[in-house]
Amino acid sequence: MKESKAIWLDNVLHEIESIHIDSKSERRIRVDISPDALPALLELLKGRAGYLHLSSISCVDWPDDDEFELVYHIWSYETNILISAHTRVSRNPGFYISVYDIHTPAGFFERDIYEMFGLFFEGSPNMEKFILTEWNGPPPMLKSFDTEKFVHETFDWKDYNPDWLQEIVAKGGGIVE
Amino acid sequence: MTEKNELPVIRPAAGDACQSESRSGLFQHAIDSFVEFCRSRSMFILHYCTGCGAIELPPAMTSRFDMERLGISPMVTPRQADILLITGYVSIKTLKRIILTYEQMQGPKYVIGICSCTVNGGMYWQSYATAKQLNEYLPVDMYIAGCMPRPEAVLEGLMQLRDKIESGAATSWEDYFKRYDHYLGKQQHLFGKDWHTPTDVIEEARHYNLLGEGTLGENTAVLEKYLRHHQELDLTRVALEPAKTNLPDR
Repeated sequence: MKESKAIWLDNVLHEIESIHIDSKSERRIRVDISPDALPALLELLKGRAGYLHLSSISCVDWPDDDEFELVYHIWSYETNILISAHTRVSRNPGFYISVYDIHTPAGFFERDIYEMFGLFFEGSPNMEKFILTEWNGPPPMLKSFDTEKFVHETFDWKDYNPDWLQEIVAKGGGIVE
Repeated sequence: MTEKNELPVIRPAAGDACQSESRSGLFQHAIDSFVEFCRSRSMFILHYCTGCGAIELPPAMTSRFDMERLGISPMVTPRQADILLITGYVSIKTLKRIILTYEQMQGPKYVIGICSCTVNGGMYWQSYATAKQLNEYLPVDMYIAGCMPRPEAVLEGLMQLRDKIESGAATSWEDYFKRYDHYLGKQQHLFGKDWHTPTDVIEEARHYNLLGEGTLGENTAVLEKYLRHHQELDLTRVALEPAKTNLPDR
Protein backbone atom coordinates (compact mmCIF):
# COMPACT_ATOMS: atom_id res chain seq x y z
CA MET A 1 0.00 0.00 0.00
CA LYS A 2 2.72 2.42 1.06
CA GLU A 3 4.81 1.57 -1.99
CA SER A 4 1.95 2.10 -4.38
CA LYS A 5 1.32 5.53 -2.95
CA ALA A 6 4.97 6.45 -3.37
CA ILE A 7 4.92 5.32 -6.98
CA TRP A 8 1.73 7.24 -7.61
CA LEU A 9 3.25 10.38 -6.10
CA ASP A 10 6.38 9.88 -8.15
CA ASN A 11 4.29 9.78 -11.32
CA VAL A 12 2.55 13.01 -10.34
CA LEU A 13 5.84 14.74 -9.66
CA HIS A 14 7.30 13.66 -12.98
CA GLU A 15 4.54 15.41 -14.86
CA ILE A 16 6.46 18.65 -14.30
CA GLU A 17 9.57 19.25 -16.33
CA SER A 18 12.89 20.51 -15.02
CA ILE A 19 12.38 19.08 -11.57
CA HIS A 20 14.91 17.32 -9.39
CA ILE A 21 13.52 14.80 -6.92
CA ASP A 22 15.54 13.50 -4.02
CA SER A 23 13.91 10.97 -1.73
CA LYS A 24 15.48 11.67 1.67
CA SER A 25 13.63 8.91 3.48
CA GLU A 26 10.44 6.91 3.26
CA ARG A 27 8.26 9.82 4.27
CA ARG A 28 10.32 12.77 3.14
CA ILE A 29 10.98 14.04 -0.36
CA ARG A 30 13.11 16.97 -1.38
CA VAL A 31 12.16 18.65 -4.62
CA ASP A 32 14.29 21.26 -6.37
CA ILE A 33 12.36 23.31 -8.86
CA SER A 34 12.68 26.57 -10.79
CA PRO A 35 10.77 29.55 -9.39
CA ASP A 36 8.51 29.72 -12.49
CA ALA A 37 7.22 26.19 -11.99
CA LEU A 38 6.76 26.21 -8.21
CA PRO A 39 3.15 27.52 -8.07
CA ALA A 40 2.21 24.91 -10.70
CA LEU A 41 3.79 22.19 -8.57
CA LEU A 42 1.84 23.25 -5.46
CA GLU A 43 -1.36 23.41 -7.49
CA LEU A 44 -0.78 19.99 -8.99
CA LEU A 45 0.05 18.37 -5.68
CA LYS A 46 -2.95 19.96 -4.02
CA GLY A 47 -5.32 18.75 -6.70
CA ARG A 48 -3.90 15.30 -7.38
CA ALA A 49 -2.24 14.09 -4.18
CA GLY A 50 -4.10 15.82 -1.37
CA TYR A 51 -1.32 18.24 -0.40
CA LEU A 52 -3.65 20.64 1.42
CA HIS A 53 -1.42 21.60 4.31
CA LEU A 54 1.31 24.20 3.85
CA SER A 55 3.25 23.84 7.11
CA SER A 56 5.60 26.71 6.55
CA ILE A 57 7.68 28.65 4.09
CA SER A 58 11.25 29.08 5.19
CA CYS A 59 13.80 31.40 3.68
CA VAL A 60 17.57 31.14 3.52
CA ASP A 61 19.84 34.00 2.58
CA TRP A 62 22.74 33.07 0.27
CA PRO A 63 24.72 36.31 -0.07
CA ASP A 64 27.54 34.74 -2.14
CA ASP A 65 25.12 33.54 -4.81
CA ASP A 66 23.01 36.69 -4.42
CA GLU A 67 19.95 34.51 -3.98
CA PHE A 68 17.21 33.67 -1.52
CA GLU A 69 16.31 30.04 -1.09
CA LEU A 70 12.63 29.46 -0.37
CA VAL A 71 11.48 26.13 1.04
CA TYR A 72 7.81 25.25 0.93
CA HIS A 73 6.96 22.45 3.34
CA ILE A 74 3.76 20.75 2.31
CA TRP A 75 2.01 17.79 3.85
CA SER A 76 -0.63 15.40 2.60
CA TYR A 77 -2.92 13.46 4.92
CA GLU A 78 -3.42 10.87 2.18
CA THR A 79 0.14 9.96 1.29
CA ASN A 80 1.63 10.94 4.68
CA ILE A 81 4.77 12.12 2.94
CA LEU A 82 6.34 15.52 3.57
CA ILE A 83 7.50 17.35 0.48
CA SER A 84 10.00 20.17 0.80
CA ALA A 85 9.99 22.18 -2.38
CA HIS A 86 13.18 24.22 -2.72
CA THR A 87 13.49 27.10 -5.10
CA ARG A 88 15.99 29.91 -5.53
CA VAL A 89 15.01 33.51 -6.22
CA SER A 90 17.34 36.35 -7.11
CA ARG A 91 18.00 38.84 -4.29
CA ASN A 92 17.82 41.75 -6.71
CA PRO A 93 15.23 43.11 -7.17
CA GLY A 94 13.84 40.69 -4.60
CA PHE A 95 10.37 39.96 -5.93
CA TYR A 96 8.51 36.69 -6.06
CA ILE A 97 4.94 35.60 -6.63
CA SER A 98 2.58 34.83 -3.76
CA VAL A 99 0.96 31.42 -3.42
CA TYR A 100 -1.86 32.86 -1.31
CA ASP A 101 -4.44 31.79 -3.89
CA ILE A 102 -3.34 28.15 -3.54
CA HIS A 103 -2.64 27.98 0.20
CA THR A 104 -4.24 30.71 2.33
CA PRO A 105 -1.81 30.39 5.29
CA ALA A 106 0.97 31.47 2.93
CA GLY A 107 -0.15 35.06 3.57
CA PHE A 108 1.35 35.01 7.06
CA PHE A 109 4.58 33.30 6.06
CA GLU A 110 5.12 35.68 3.18
CA ARG A 111 4.50 38.70 5.35
CA ASP A 112 7.01 37.36 7.87
CA ILE A 113 9.63 36.70 5.19
CA TYR A 114 9.18 40.18 3.75
CA GLU A 115 9.74 41.62 7.21
CA MET A 116 12.76 39.49 8.08
CA PHE A 117 14.47 39.24 4.67
CA GLY A 118 12.95 41.98 2.53
CA LEU A 119 11.73 39.60 -0.18
CA PHE A 120 8.48 41.03 -1.53
CA PHE A 121 5.64 38.71 -2.59
CA GLU A 122 3.42 40.06 -5.31
CA GLY A 123 -0.25 39.25 -4.83
CA SER A 124 -0.03 38.62 -1.11
CA PRO A 125 -2.99 40.25 0.66
CA ASN A 126 -1.04 42.13 3.31
CA MET A 127 2.62 43.08 3.26
CA GLU A 128 2.45 45.43 6.24
CA LYS A 129 4.82 45.07 9.19
CA PHE A 130 3.98 42.04 11.27
CA ILE A 131 6.05 41.54 14.42
CA LEU A 132 8.75 44.19 14.13
CA THR A 133 6.26 47.05 14.02
CA GLU A 134 8.72 49.39 15.68
CA TRP A 135 11.83 48.43 13.77
CA ASN A 136 13.22 50.89 11.24
CA GLY A 137 16.52 49.20 10.42
CA PRO A 138 17.36 46.79 7.61
CA PRO A 139 15.68 43.34 7.51
CA PRO A 140 17.40 41.74 10.53
CA MET A 141 17.70 38.18 9.22
CA LEU A 142 19.90 39.14 6.28
CA LYS A 143 23.43 37.86 6.64
CA SER A 144 24.69 41.33 5.73
CA PHE A 145 23.10 42.74 8.91
CA ASP A 146 25.70 42.53 11.68
CA THR A 147 23.68 42.00 14.86
CA GLU A 148 26.66 42.10 17.18
CA LYS A 149 27.87 45.40 15.75
CA PHE A 150 24.39 46.86 16.07
CA VAL A 151 24.17 45.73 19.70
CA HIS A 152 27.54 47.27 20.59
CA GLU A 153 26.56 50.54 18.93
CA THR A 154 23.14 50.72 20.58
CA PHE A 155 23.53 49.32 24.10
CA ASP A 156 25.88 49.65 27.04
CA TRP A 157 27.04 46.82 29.28
CA LYS A 158 27.11 46.43 33.00
CA ASP A 159 30.37 45.15 34.46
CA TYR A 160 29.99 42.55 37.16
CA ASN A 161 33.10 40.99 38.63
CA PRO A 162 32.75 40.57 42.40
CA ASP A 163 35.43 39.14 44.67
CA TRP A 164 33.74 35.78 45.13
CA LEU A 165 33.67 35.32 41.36
CA GLN A 166 37.32 36.27 41.02
CA GLU A 167 38.20 33.72 43.72
CA ILE A 168 36.40 30.99 41.84
CA VAL A 169 38.10 31.97 38.60
CA ALA A 170 41.49 31.98 40.37
CA LYS A 171 40.83 28.43 41.55
CA GLY A 172 40.21 27.40 37.99
CA GLY A 173 36.42 27.80 37.93
CA GLY A 174 33.91 25.04 38.33
CA ILE A 175 30.97 24.34 40.54
CA VAL A 176 30.66 26.18 43.85
CA GLU A 177 30.79 23.73 46.73
CA MET B 1 -24.89 85.18 34.97
CA THR B 2 -23.10 84.33 38.17
CA GLU B 3 -19.50 85.40 38.44
CA LYS B 4 -17.09 82.58 37.85
CA ASN B 5 -15.18 83.17 41.08
CA GLU B 6 -18.22 82.67 43.28
CA LEU B 7 -18.22 78.94 42.77
CA PRO B 8 -15.49 76.77 44.26
CA VAL B 9 -12.82 75.46 41.95
CA ILE B 10 -11.47 71.96 42.47
CA ARG B 11 -7.75 72.04 43.05
CA PRO B 12 -5.36 69.09 43.32
CA ALA B 13 -4.63 68.10 46.91
CA ALA B 14 -1.17 68.74 48.26
CA GLY B 15 1.15 65.77 47.96
CA ASP B 16 2.21 63.49 50.80
CA ALA B 17 5.75 64.76 50.51
CA CYS B 18 4.61 68.29 51.39
CA GLN B 19 2.95 67.08 54.56
CA SER B 20 5.85 65.01 55.79
CA GLU B 21 8.09 68.07 55.82
CA SER B 22 5.98 69.73 58.46
CA ARG B 23 6.00 66.59 60.64
CA SER B 24 8.30 66.63 63.58
CA GLY B 25 8.72 65.12 67.00
CA LEU B 26 8.91 61.63 68.37
CA PHE B 27 5.22 60.96 67.88
CA GLN B 28 5.38 61.74 64.18
CA HIS B 29 8.50 59.62 63.82
CA ALA B 30 6.66 56.72 65.44
CA ILE B 31 3.78 57.14 63.01
CA ASP B 32 6.14 57.29 60.03
CA SER B 33 7.98 54.14 61.02
CA PHE B 34 4.66 52.41 61.62
CA VAL B 35 3.58 53.42 58.12
CA GLU B 36 6.83 52.08 56.68
CA PHE B 37 6.34 48.85 58.63
CA CYS B 38 2.80 48.42 57.29
CA ARG B 39 3.89 49.31 53.77
CA SER B 40 6.63 46.67 53.81
CA ARG B 41 4.17 44.02 55.03
CA SER B 42 1.57 44.43 52.31
CA MET B 43 3.28 44.43 48.97
CA PHE B 44 1.23 43.95 45.87
CA ILE B 45 3.09 42.73 42.84
CA LEU B 46 2.30 43.53 39.26
CA HIS B 47 4.17 40.81 37.44
CA TYR B 48 5.19 41.58 33.89
CA CYS B 49 5.75 38.06 32.70
CA THR B 50 7.07 38.13 29.16
CA GLY B 51 10.22 36.23 30.04
CA CYS B 52 10.76 32.60 30.94
CA GLY B 53 11.46 33.50 34.60
CA ALA B 54 7.71 33.81 35.04
CA ILE B 55 7.54 30.06 35.41
CA GLU B 56 9.21 30.34 38.83
CA LEU B 57 6.46 32.61 40.13
CA PRO B 58 3.54 30.14 40.41
CA PRO B 59 5.43 27.92 42.90
CA ALA B 60 6.61 31.04 44.75
CA MET B 61 3.02 32.27 45.02
CA THR B 62 1.17 29.05 45.70
CA SER B 63 1.27 26.51 48.51
CA ARG B 64 4.84 25.25 48.12
CA PHE B 65 6.63 28.50 48.97
CA ASP B 66 3.58 30.63 49.73
CA MET B 67 4.50 34.25 49.16
CA GLU B 68 1.33 35.43 50.81
CA ARG B 69 2.48 34.48 54.31
CA LEU B 70 4.92 37.39 53.90
CA GLY B 71 2.14 39.72 52.83
CA ILE B 72 3.11 39.62 49.17
CA SER B 73 0.41 38.89 46.67
CA PRO B 74 -0.30 39.47 43.00
CA MET B 75 -2.28 42.46 41.80
CA VAL B 76 -4.12 42.97 38.56
CA THR B 77 -3.69 46.66 37.77
CA PRO B 78 -0.68 48.99 37.82
CA ARG B 79 -2.60 51.65 39.75
CA GLN B 80 -3.01 49.39 42.76
CA ALA B 81 0.39 47.70 42.67
CA ASP B 82 3.50 48.53 44.69
CA ILE B 83 6.05 46.37 42.94
CA LEU B 84 6.64 45.91 39.25
CA LEU B 85 8.20 42.51 38.80
CA ILE B 86 9.86 42.07 35.42
CA THR B 87 10.69 38.46 34.76
CA GLY B 88 13.47 38.39 32.25
CA TYR B 89 13.80 39.11 28.53
CA VAL B 90 12.74 42.66 27.74
CA SER B 91 12.46 43.39 24.05
CA ILE B 92 12.45 46.97 22.83
CA LYS B 93 8.75 46.69 22.05
CA THR B 94 8.07 45.29 25.51
CA LEU B 95 10.14 47.99 27.17
CA LYS B 96 7.81 50.66 25.83
CA ARG B 97 4.89 48.91 27.51
CA ILE B 98 6.85 48.48 30.72
CA ILE B 99 7.58 52.19 30.87
CA LEU B 100 3.92 53.00 30.23
CA THR B 101 2.95 50.61 33.02
CA TYR B 102 5.57 51.94 35.40
CA GLU B 103 4.49 55.53 34.93
CA GLN B 104 0.90 54.59 35.71
CA MET B 105 1.85 53.15 39.08
CA GLN B 106 1.49 55.35 42.11
CA GLY B 107 4.43 56.20 44.29
CA PRO B 108 6.06 54.78 46.29
CA LYS B 109 6.75 52.09 43.72
CA TYR B 110 9.49 49.54 43.38
CA VAL B 111 10.93 47.63 40.44
CA ILE B 112 12.48 44.19 40.63
CA GLY B 113 14.30 42.68 37.67
CA ILE B 114 14.39 38.91 37.73
CA CYS B 115 16.77 36.77 35.63
CA SER B 116 20.02 37.56 33.87
CA CYS B 117 18.24 39.07 30.88
CA THR B 118 17.20 42.18 32.79
CA VAL B 119 20.76 42.63 34.08
CA ASN B 120 22.76 42.43 30.88
CA GLY B 121 20.64 40.85 28.17
CA GLY B 122 21.43 37.32 29.37
CA MET B 123 21.47 34.77 26.61
CA TYR B 124 20.03 37.42 24.28
CA TRP B 125 23.09 39.64 24.63
CA GLN B 126 23.63 39.50 20.86
CA SER B 127 20.02 40.13 19.91
CA TYR B 128 19.09 43.30 18.07
CA ALA B 129 15.61 43.31 19.60
CA THR B 130 16.45 42.96 23.31
CA ALA B 131 17.07 45.83 25.68
CA LYS B 132 20.11 45.03 27.77
CA GLN B 133 20.18 46.91 31.08
CA LEU B 134 16.80 47.58 32.59
CA ASN B 135 18.09 50.20 35.04
CA GLU B 136 19.09 52.48 32.18
CA TYR B 137 15.44 53.08 31.40
CA LEU B 138 13.80 52.67 34.82
CA PRO B 139 15.09 52.91 38.38
CA VAL B 140 15.47 49.29 39.51
CA ASP B 141 15.43 48.56 43.24
CA MET B 142 16.69 45.05 43.04
CA TYR B 143 17.99 42.50 40.60
CA ILE B 144 17.57 38.81 41.26
CA ALA B 145 20.14 37.20 39.02
CA GLY B 146 19.99 33.66 37.72
CA CYS B 147 18.79 31.85 34.68
CA MET B 148 16.26 31.35 36.11
CA PRO B 149 16.41 32.08 39.86
CA ARG B 150 14.70 29.50 42.05
CA PRO B 151 11.59 30.51 44.04
CA GLU B 152 13.79 30.62 47.17
CA ALA B 153 15.89 33.31 45.50
CA VAL B 154 12.78 35.22 44.46
CA LEU B 155 11.49 35.13 48.04
CA GLU B 156 14.92 36.07 49.41
CA GLY B 157 14.98 39.07 47.09
CA LEU B 158 11.48 40.13 48.09
CA MET B 159 12.40 39.86 51.77
CA GLN B 160 15.46 42.01 51.19
CA LEU B 161 13.23 44.56 49.51
CA ARG B 162 10.87 44.35 52.49
CA ASP B 163 13.72 45.21 54.84
CA LYS B 164 14.82 47.99 52.53
CA ILE B 165 11.34 49.51 52.53
CA GLU B 166 11.06 49.17 56.31
CA SER B 167 14.33 50.99 56.86
CA GLY B 168 13.25 53.68 54.40
CA ALA B 169 16.15 52.99 52.02
CA ALA B 170 14.05 51.98 49.02
CA THR B 171 13.78 55.41 47.45
CA SER B 172 14.83 54.70 43.89
CA TRP B 173 11.35 55.59 42.61
CA GLU B 174 12.17 59.18 43.58
CA ASP B 175 15.20 58.93 41.34
CA TYR B 176 12.94 58.64 38.29
CA PHE B 177 11.48 62.05 39.07
CA LYS B 178 14.75 63.62 40.17
CA ARG B 179 16.72 62.45 37.12
CA TYR B 180 13.91 62.17 34.58
CA ASP B 181 15.99 63.86 31.89
CA HIS B 182 18.59 61.08 32.09
CA TYR B 183 16.04 58.28 31.88
CA LEU B 184 14.12 59.99 29.09
CA GLY B 185 17.35 60.46 27.15
CA LYS B 186 18.07 56.73 27.33
CA GLN B 187 14.51 55.95 26.26
CA GLN B 188 14.72 58.36 23.35
CA HIS B 189 18.03 56.81 22.28
CA LEU B 190 16.19 53.52 21.81
CA PHE B 191 12.73 54.61 20.67
CA GLY B 192 13.51 57.75 18.72
CA LYS B 193 13.15 61.43 19.52
CA ASP B 194 9.38 61.44 19.14
CA TRP B 195 8.93 59.08 22.10
CA HIS B 196 6.53 60.38 24.75
CA THR B 197 4.06 58.91 27.22
CA PRO B 198 0.60 60.10 28.24
CA THR B 199 1.82 60.59 31.83
CA ASP B 200 3.09 64.08 32.61
CA VAL B 201 6.05 63.01 34.73
CA ILE B 202 7.36 66.53 35.23
CA GLU B 203 4.04 67.72 36.63
CA GLU B 204 3.95 64.68 38.91
CA ALA B 205 7.46 65.43 40.12
CA ARG B 206 6.31 68.93 40.99
CA HIS B 207 3.30 67.47 42.79
CA TYR B 208 5.44 65.09 44.87
CA ASN B 209 7.96 67.86 45.59
CA LEU B 210 10.61 65.80 43.85
CA LEU B 211 11.72 68.26 41.21
CA GLY B 212 15.49 67.81 41.15
CA GLU B 213 18.31 69.28 39.16
CA GLY B 214 18.13 66.50 36.62
CA THR B 215 14.36 66.53 36.12
CA LEU B 216 14.42 69.06 33.33
CA GLY B 217 16.99 69.18 30.58
CA GLU B 218 17.57 69.02 26.87
CA ASN B 219 15.74 65.71 26.51
CA THR B 220 12.63 66.84 28.34
CA ALA B 221 12.58 70.01 26.22
CA VAL B 222 11.51 67.78 23.30
CA LEU B 223 8.38 66.85 25.26
CA GLU B 224 7.08 70.42 25.20
CA LYS B 225 5.26 69.96 21.91
CA TYR B 226 3.39 66.90 23.19
CA LEU B 227 2.51 68.43 26.53
CA ARG B 228 -1.11 69.02 27.44
CA HIS B 229 -1.22 70.96 30.68
CA HIS B 230 -3.71 70.05 33.36
CA GLN B 231 -6.70 72.33 33.21
CA GLU B 232 -8.83 73.20 36.16
CA LEU B 233 -12.38 72.03 35.90
CA ASP B 234 -14.55 75.05 35.28
CA LEU B 235 -17.59 74.38 37.44
CA THR B 236 -19.51 77.45 36.27
CA ARG B 237 -19.88 76.02 32.83
CA VAL B 238 -20.76 72.59 34.10
CA ALA B 239 -23.40 73.95 36.45
CA LEU B 240 -25.04 76.63 34.37
CA GLU B 241 -24.74 75.70 30.74
CA PRO B 242 -26.70 72.81 29.34
CA ALA B 243 -24.60 69.95 28.05
CA LYS B 244 -23.71 70.35 24.41
CA THR B 245 -24.39 67.43 22.19
CA ASN B 246 -23.56 66.71 18.62
CA LEU B 247 -27.05 65.50 17.91
CA PRO B 248 -29.04 67.62 15.43
CA ASP B 249 -32.04 69.58 16.75
CA ARG B 250 -35.40 68.01 16.12
